[in-house]
Amino acid sequence: MTEKDFWRKATVAVIGGGSWGTVLAHLLSGNCSEVRIWTRDDEDARAFNSTRNNPRYAQGLHFGGNVRALSEPDRVFEGGVQAVIWALPSKVLRQAARDFSRHFQGDEMIIHATKGIEEGTLKRMTEVLREELPAPRIGVISGPNLADEVARGEPAATVVASAYTEVIEAGRTLLTTDRFRVYGNTDVIGVEWAGVLKNVLAIAAGSLDALNLGANSRSALISRGLAEMVRFSEYFGARQETFLGLAGVGDLLATCSSSLSRNYRVGQALASGKTLEQALEELGSTAEGVQTCGSVWKFAEKRGIYMPITEGVYRVIQGQCSAREALHQLMTRASANALYES
Amino acid sequence: MDMSQVPSLIQEAQLWKFEELRSQVLSDVVERSYQEILAEESEMPLEVVLQEALFAERQRLRRTRTNWFTRERRKRDSLFWGGVYTRMLRRPGEVDRSQVLRRVLEHYTDEIGGHFDPNVYRFTTHALPIGFNWLLNAASAGILLPWKQKEQVQGRLNIVGEVEHLKKLTARGTILLVPTHQSNIDSVMIGYLIYLMGLPPFSYGAGLNLFSNPILSYFMSRLGAYTVDRQKNDAIYKRALKNYSTRILRQGVHSIFFPGGGRSRSGAIESKLKLGLLGTALEAQTMNLSEGRPNPNVYVVPMVTSYHFVLEAASLIEDYLMEQGKHRFILRGDDSWQLAKVANFFWKFFKSESSVTVRIGKPMDVFGNLVDEAGQSLGPNGTQIQPLKWLTTRGEVRPDAARDREYTRELGLRVSERFHLDNTVLSSHAVAFALFECLRKHYRGFDLFRFLRLSLSQRTLPFEEFLQEAETLHQRLHEMSDRGRLHLAPEFKVGSFRRWVDDGIRNLGLLHDAAVVKVDKDTILTEDLSLLYYYRNRLAGYGLSLKGEGYDRKGFLA
Repeated sequence: MTEKDFWRKATVAVIGGGSWGTVLAHLLSGNCSEVRIWTRDDEDARAFNSTRNNPRYAQGLHFGGNVRALSEPDRVFEGGVQAVIWALPSKVLRQAARDFSRHFQGDEMIIHATKGIEEGTLKRMTEVLREELPAPRIGVISGPNLADEVARGEPAATVVASAYTEVIEAGRTLLTTDRFRVYGNTDVIGVEWAGVLKNVLAIAAGSLDALNLGANSRSALISRGLAEMVRFSEYFGARQETFLGLAGVGDLLATCSSSLSRNYRVGQALASGKTLEQALEELGSTAEGVQTCGSVWKFAEKRGIYMPITEGVYRVIQGQCSAREALHQLMTRASANALYES
Repeated sequence: MDMSQVPSLIQEAQLWKFEELRSQVLSDVVERSYQEILAEESEMPLEVVLQEALFAERQRLRRTRTNWFTRERRKRDSLFWGGVYTRMLRRPGEVDRSQVLRRVLEHYTDEIGGHFDPNVYRFTTHALPIGFNWLLNAASAGILLPWKQKEQVQGRLNIVGEVEHLKKLTARGTILLVPTHQSNIDSVMIGYLIYLMGLPPFSYGAGLNLFSNPILSYFMSRLGAYTVDRQKNDAIYKRALKNYSTRILRQGVHSIFFPGGGRSRSGAIESKLKLGLLGTALEAQTMNLSEGRPNPNVYVVPMVTSYHFVLEAASLIEDYLMEQGKHRFILRGDDSWQLAKVANFFWKFFKSESSVTVRIGKPMDVFGNLVDEAGQSLGPNGTQIQPLKWLTTRGEVRPDAARDREYTRELGLRVSERFHLDNTVLSSHAVAFALFECLRKHYRGFDLFRFLRLSLSQRTLPFEEFLQEAETLHQRLHEMSDRGRLHLAPEFKVGSFRRWVDDGIRNLGLLHDAAVVKVDKDTILTEDLSLLYYYRNRLAGYGLSLKGEGYDRKGFLA
C-alpha cells in the first residue's frame, strides 16, 4: 500500500481543541478518512458537532462530516487510530499522556505541536511523550505558523521532525494542502529547542516595540538572539543548520513581528511599566516564554552558556530592572565576544 | 532462507544440535549476504565493494605480525586474496564478479562459523573447575593435596541479580547476553558462569586474537564460539558477521557478545556501544514474527562484572590515553598477555580473599523495554507492549531500515543505562575514585595529560584529607544505592567506614608492580597515576566527579 492510500483510509486523533489543534484538525480532514478531536469540555464537544465549527477558536473554519469532537478518551481511540496529534500546553502534556497511555497500541504515528519545555526537568516534549507512552514513533511539528493565518488559508510552511522517517512521511501526507507545505527534518532536538527558545526572544521583541524602537533594533535582537538559541541548543546536540530553517529563523521572525503572539504581548506590557502579574492578567492566558525564560537562564548560567539577551529578559520578568535598563545593560556590557560575531 | 522446515533449538537442546545444522547455517549466511549485496548494486557497485575488501585485506595482511600458530591462517588468507586479485585484474566480462563475491563470502563465513562439540563441553565444564579449585587451594591455603581442599572457585564468584528471571526466559525465547568487558579472562569466566547458573551453553563472538593461543583456540572453537575479527572492516565481512549472528539467534541459539566491541580501554563502564551486532537481535525477532515462528522473541540481558583488579589494566589505559592524547601522551612500554602473567593473576586472585562480582541485569526486549518473567514487554504507566505493533509499519510487520536503526540506537542507550544501574561498586573502585578526585582538587587548572605527569611528591596527600574525601563519597554512594542508581558490594554495608577503605586499599595493591595506592605513615600516594585513573573510571558516568568551572573540558571522564 502506498503512503497516500494508507492514510486516506486512516483515523487520526487530535488531542486538544485549542486554536492550533483546531486548525491542524482542519488540515488533516482533507487527507484522511476520519478526525477525532479530544476536548476536555463535553459541552464544547457537543457544540462543535452540531454547529460544525469550534465555538471558541478559529471560528471561521467550517468542518466536514468526517471530523468529530469527543470528550471521552475511550471514544477517541475506539477501534484504534493510526496517528495522534498532540496540541496541548506543555504544563499538561505529561499528565494527559499518562492518562491516555493505556489507549495506545504501539503502531501509532505521534506528532506533537507544543512549543514548550517541561519546567524543572527541562525535558523536551518528545522526551516526555516517550517516557509516558507505550508507542515509540514520535515527532514534532514546528514552524512559522500563526494559527489564525493558517486558518484563513494564507500560504504557510512548516517542519515535521522525527528520528523516524515514517513519522515525517505521515506528517507530510496528512498535513499537506495546496496552501500548507510540510518539510521534514531529523534534528528533533534542534527543532524543539528552536520552538521553545524563540518565545523568550518574542518577549524581548514586544518590549522593544513598546519602547518605540525601529527596525534596526529589532533586527539586531533577532540575529543576536538567534546566535543565543544556537549556542544553547548545540549544548544538547542540536544541529546549526536547523536554525537557518523554518523552525529556527522562520518561526523567530514570525513571532517577533506579529503582535498576535502572546509572548510578544507580555513583553509589550512589561516594557510599558506593568508587572508580570498585571501583564499575564491582561493577556488572560499563559505565555510559554515566561516560564521557559527562567528555566533556560538558570540552566545556562550554571554551565557557562553565554546568553545575555535571555538574562536581560529574565531580569525584567523578575522585576529586577526595567526593560529600558536591561536594554542599556545589553548595549554597554563589556564583552570580549563583541569584537566578533559568534 | 525459508526457516519453516528448520526446528527452533529452543525446545531442543540449543547448542547441542548445532553441529548437525552448521553447514546449513553457513550456506544460509552466504546466500543471504550475497542477495543483500547484489540488491544494493545500484547504490554500491559490486566492483567497488570487492575492490575495497581486496584492498583492506591486502593492507591488513601486510600489517599483521604472525606467530607460530597463526602463520598457517595467514598463508591461507594470502593465497586466497592473491586469487581474488588475479580475478579482479581481468575484465568483468571474463570473470563473473558475483562468483567472486560468493567465494569471498564463503571464505569469511568459514572463518566466522563456530563449532560445538558436546564432549569438549562436558570435559571443560568438569575439568576446568578441578584445575582452578586446585590452584585456588594451593594459593590461598597452601594445600596441594586434592582431597584436602576446602575452597571452591564458585565461592570466589558472586553471582547476583536476575538469575532466576534469566533462567525462565531461556524457555520463552532466545537470549542475547551482553556483558561489560574488561579483561580477556571475561570470555572464559562467562562460559563457566553460564554453566554454574545451570543455563544451557551459549554461543559467543570471540576476538580472533584469542584464537591465536592454541589451547584457548581448541576449546573455544568447540564450545560454540564464533570468531569476530575487529581488524576486518570491509562491508562484505561486516555483512557476513551480522548475518551469522542473526541466523543463529533465529535458530534459537542463545548468544553472547560484548556490545562495547573490545575491552573497555579507559576502565569506565561502556557508554558507547557497537550497534551493528546489537541490531541483529531486532532483525532476528522481526523475521521470526513475520514468519509466524513460535517463541519469536529475543531477550537482551545485560551483565556487569566487577573486578577489584584487572590483569591488563596497565596496557588498556595506555591504549586509551594514547588514543585520547596523541602526541601529548608518552608511551611507557608494552604489556602483553603472556601465560606467566595470566598465571600470576590467578595466583594473586586466589591467594587474596578477593572475589569477582557478576550481576545479571534486568532482562529487556529488543527495544530496551523491561520484560517480566513471562517474557511480556512492559511499557510506562502499567501498560504492556506488543513488539509486533512496534514492528508494524502501515499495517504490516516488516523491517524498515530507518526505524530499526533508531530502535537499535535506543536499545544501545538502554543497555548502557542498565550497565550503570546494575553495576556493583567495589571498595577498590571507591578508594581509587576518592584519591583521584582528592588529588585533582589540588590541581584544578590542570588538564588530564598535565595531571598525569605530576611528580611523586605532588601525588602524595595527607591521609586524613583523603579519608574525608572518601567519607563524603561513601555517603553519596549510599544515597545513590538507596535510590537504585547503582549497587554496593557487601563490604560497604557490613563493618565500619574504615574497614572498607582498608579493604579497597589492600585490593588495589594486589596485582600491579607499582602500587596503585600506598599508605605511608600518615600520607597516601599513588605510584602510578594512569592506573589510578583506570580504576577510578569505573565510577565515571555517575555525575560524581568535579563539575563546573570548565572541569568537563579538561579531558577527564566525567
